[in-house]
Amino acid sequence: MRETRSQKRGSTRGLERLPSSKKAAAPRGEVRERAENGMVLIRKRIKYRWFTLGAGLDLPLLILICILLAVGLVMMFSASYAFAFANYGDSYLFIGRQSIFAVAGVIAMLLISTVDYHKFHRLATLIYAIAIGLLVLLFVCALFDIEAIAPNKNGATRWLNFGIIEFQPSEVAKFAMVTMLADYISRKSDRISASKGTYGLIVCLAIFGVVAGFVLLEKHFSAAIIITLLAFTLFFIGGYNPKHLTVIFIIGIAAAVLVLQLPMFSHSLLRFMGWLDPFNPNPPEGVDTWQTRQGLYAIGSGGLLGVGLGQSKQKYLYLPEPQNDFIFAIVCEELGFIGAIIVILLFAMLIWRGVYISINAKDKFGTLLGVGITFTVGIQAVLNICVVTNALPNTGISLPFFSYGGTSLLMLLGQMGVLLSISRHSNIEKT
Amino acid sequence: MAKAKSKKASLWHKTLGVTAILLIVGFGVAIGFLVHWQLVEGEKLKTQAMNQSLKTTSLTAMRGTIYDATETKVLAQSASVWTVVLEPNYIEDEATKKLISSGLSGILDLEYDYVYERTNYNNYFTYLKRKVETETKDAVLEFMKENDIDQGIRLIEDYKRYYPYGSTASVVLGFTGTDNNGLAGLELYYDQELSGTSGRMVSLKNAWGEDMPFQYEQLVTAENGYDLVLTIDEAVQSIVEKYLNEAAAQYSTKNGAAAILMDVNDGAIKAMAVSGGFDCNDPFTIYDETVRTEIDALPEEEQNDAYTAALNHQWRNKAVSDTYVPGSVFKMISGSIGLDSGAITTHTAFSCEGSYVAYKGTDPIKCWVHPGFHGVETIREGICNSCNPFMMQMAKVIGSKTFYNYFYAFGLTDKTGVDLPGESSSLFYTESELLPVELATESFGQGFTATPLQMITACAAIANGGYIVQPHVVEKILDSDGNIVESADTSYKRQVISDETSKTMISILQENATTGSGKNGYVEGYRVCGKTGTSEKVAEHNEHPEEAMEYIASFCGFAPADNPQYILLVFLDEPDRSIASGGLMAAPVFSKIMAEVLPYLGVEAQYTESEAEKNSTTAPNLIGKSIAEAETLIADADLYYSVYGDASDEDAVVLMQVPAAGADMPVGGKIVLYLEDKIAEEDMCVVPDFVGKTLSECNDLANQAGVQILMTGAATDIMLQSQSQSIDAGTRVKPGTVIKVQFVDMSGLEQ
Repeated sequence: MRETRSQKRGSTRGLERLPSSKKAAAPRGEVRERAENGMVLIRKRIKYRWFTLGAGLDLPLLILICILLAVGLVMMFSASYAFAFANYGDSYLFIGRQSIFAVAGVIAMLLISTVDYHKFHRLATLIYAIAIGLLVLLFVCALFDIEAIAPNKNGATRWLNFGIIEFQPSEVAKFAMVTMLADYISRKSDRISASKGTYGLIVCLAIFGVVAGFVLLEKHFSAAIIITLLAFTLFFIGGYNPKHLTVIFIIGIAAAVLVLQLPMFSHSLLRFMGWLDPFNPNPPEGVDTWQTRQGLYAIGSGGLLGVGLGQSKQKYLYLPEPQNDFIFAIVCEELGFIGAIIVILLFAMLIWRGVYISINAKDKFGTLLGVGITFTVGIQAVLNICVVTNALPNTGISLPFFSYGGTSLLMLLGQMGVLLSISRHSNIEKT
Repeated sequence: MAKAKSKKASLWHKTLGVTAILLIVGFGVAIGFLVHWQLVEGEKLKTQAMNQSLKTTSLTAMRGTIYDATETKVLAQSASVWTVVLEPNYIEDEATKKLISSGLSGILDLEYDYVYERTNYNNYFTYLKRKVETETKDAVLEFMKENDIDQGIRLIEDYKRYYPYGSTASVVLGFTGTDNNGLAGLELYYDQELSGTSGRMVSLKNAWGEDMPFQYEQLVTAENGYDLVLTIDEAVQSIVEKYLNEAAAQYSTKNGAAAILMDVNDGAIKAMAVSGGFDCNDPFTIYDETVRTEIDALPEEEQNDAYTAALNHQWRNKAVSDTYVPGSVFKMISGSIGLDSGAITTHTAFSCEGSYVAYKGTDPIKCWVHPGFHGVETIREGICNSCNPFMMQMAKVIGSKTFYNYFYAFGLTDKTGVDLPGESSSLFYTESELLPVELATESFGQGFTATPLQMITACAAIANGGYIVQPHVVEKILDSDGNIVESADTSYKRQVISDETSKTMISILQENATTGSGKNGYVEGYRVCGKTGTSEKVAEHNEHPEEAMEYIASFCGFAPADNPQYILLVFLDEPDRSIASGGLMAAPVFSKIMAEVLPYLGVEAQYTESEAEKNSTTAPNLIGKSIAEAETLIADADLYYSVYGDASDEDAVVLMQVPAAGADMPVGGKIVLYLEDKIAEEDMCVVPDFVGKTLSECNDLANQAGVQILMTGAATDIMLQSQSQSIDAGTRVKPGTVIKVQFVDMSGLEQ
């Protein structure tokens, strides 16, 4: 905690270090930006130094991230080792890989936190273009069955494999869309409010629609749901007319169901039936509630205080892939109801801190980007826990910081870096 | 500025609102469900989770061993075998399936297709072959090791029942099924004691059925079954079975034969034989080849029924499950009733006119001697003559009530309670049904049925001083450490007749077995007592009058007379009608069995003077002696001799003698002295067929053949007829060989 000490030692506090909006004449150490109205905004360049990271970085957020990451890694190790041993003969396989990505992710997070988030204003279009490019590549590869790049896992093609790294383009797309929407809405903010929340809605819907469309094409419904929720959250916060949004939301869902789901509707119906009655010993043909059932067994076995760290029995091949989407069930089993509540509280605190940083951000771009990133984590955490507790039908959503997935964790920590970067400019108490 | 502020406030409110929704609604719902599943339903789910991971492995208990009375001979024993089980869902690729199919089909001697079909089943447990020997198991393990197969084939330890003596005492021992459960005989009756308690091991298993690294195991060890020590002695059993089967074959009994040998004092059954039987190791195969051939010859649709019938027949323990009409054997009981009730004394006399009218107006009931008659008789002559009118007149004096009370007391109305399954109930007249004609009929053993076991138990009471014993087959039950868990109850149930009556009856029966109607049951040196019985299967005849009357020939006797120890009942069911007679058929079987069994059981022979005189001496030992020395010894023993080889050589010594030193030989018989140790083939004698000849005919034949005969059997010499010989006709033997010939007395026998 070098930065903590440096913060305490340093006489400067975040507030004082806030870039001033006063027009300063000094050419060195100035940042010139062209505002929407053509005016040139000049801000004082903040001098970041590696060893004085405390300069403006929100410590509570950083601590929450570190705690969640540490708890997540421990639980991932506990959940995965029986599975890893049974399938790969090496209990440390998953935790080994995940740890490497975690270390890399923390470094990336700290590096990114030193980058002025306003850079994403200019990078937004590029990032969005790259994300769409990846989605197109995935779609094409899936179309032509190019397994080398787009491996088919469990009957779905959602991953791109570039040899050293393997990731889901939809993960990239979430961030790209958030950045792009934050960029667009913050730039058009005045016009949007002037038009009573109608200006540029088409553009925004297009930004969202392209991403959602591709994700739906790869039949990745859980990602589509998250993207939709994210987009409409940003639309709402961004100042668009809530009535319009509600109508569009409903029409959009109805259209999506009608256009895409006719052949798959029966499948969803089956899933729905499995959700309603996970313990039916004779489930209808095609309904497999094994994972849900085993997850609930794990939750029930935990009771109030849990069976103890590492003592889960459900992870012994009863719960399929316990290190993935259903890791929260193992948390419940080993740490009990108390432990599960603590994990939920940690997420809630992280969301709260993220939102708090965002609404106190210096500008609207910061707010929208920060809320977008926070909600990416928040919505996933909420949906994942609801799925594991069978509050929602089973669909593949991973739990941030906990579920196994190297590049996913890397990208998550990268986004946390952006959030931390926003916090440097945020008008809040940070220690 | 105000506008900007409100704009900012709106942004704040909206963001906070959405966040609140996410946190409160989202996590609220999640926590709500968590409370439901983890706290409300927690215990239930925990139990269900435990149930799926707790696997119980059953540990088979080893079935107890059955020993014979000597405790050294094992009659039934379990040994480890293995069951080969296939786990098709663990066999993944086609190549492994084919490899396993070809490998196992070879080792287990199964069809390749049979195994291959099972490798494609969709389960985790398919029996491939049960109860394979340890060598086969080792071959399977070797095959798995060689081909690096570590899953898909499982070997489960099991036990298989072995019966080292095969068919000996088969109907008594019974057999077990594939699950090691007793299905017949002692295996069934003592199934609980023999099977023990199977144990179980409860352990945590993962979803692949492997042990989890938790210290959670509950082990309930299997408790091996108890061992049984029988009262049956294998040696005695074998002797009884040998002679019984021989008789059943000789007299071609249509319905088999049974014999029981029992200790009169404690009810311990020393042998219980039924002709036929089966191989306990292979109970589902028809043991009798003739029957098997007959069934195979039947039309296909009848084969199944015939097969089942034949199996049931061979498994049936006739000695306890069949009832029969005891006939004249019962006269020893009637006589005892008469004497014990005081209705008659040994001096009371009745007259036999050849027939007797039991009730005015009914048809006269004939004596077997009819149209002859026995004249005036006391109870002694009545029994020795096996006289029906004597018994009827005596019964009339006894009266229905007293007769029935004794009948009941003798145990003829109740099952004996022997420790064997399938004991039948007898049929009899109740006291009120016992009208004069029925009483008269019952007095000589007709008109009611009893199991052979009931009869021998009743007769044993006459022999042992009047006590009804509890017949039993199992002497004691031992746990696996050899401690006695239970011993047979050898106390008396009750005393039915006085010791005095018993003694009187013994003396009468001894006379009967020596000179009376039971004389063919005579055993030299053993002072036997006994009574013959030839009963008519009246009930069956009445049902099928078109068929000729069938008979039962039986004999029940005990020895020695001065201190009765063993009682033997022989019962031939439906023997050859032309000569059906207990005295002619069953008595010699009794005699042969007792002659062989009593010395084995340690009952010492005491020859009467006349027996010693009539019978043989033993041959002196002459081996190594010169001819001169031998001559002196032989002369001293009142024997004579002949020499085989060159007698002129004075230095020659006897290398071999026939009969051998110490062997029985007829008084005044001949000893052949061999000066050479080999006999030329042309000098060997052929044993003639002695059966069915008179004594003089037998002597002539023996002289012609160059062999000697030693007479055994009936102690009289009135109407002797040879019945069997110890060495089969046609056998080539050394000159001078002594052949024992069993004679029966044809005179004075009931028909």
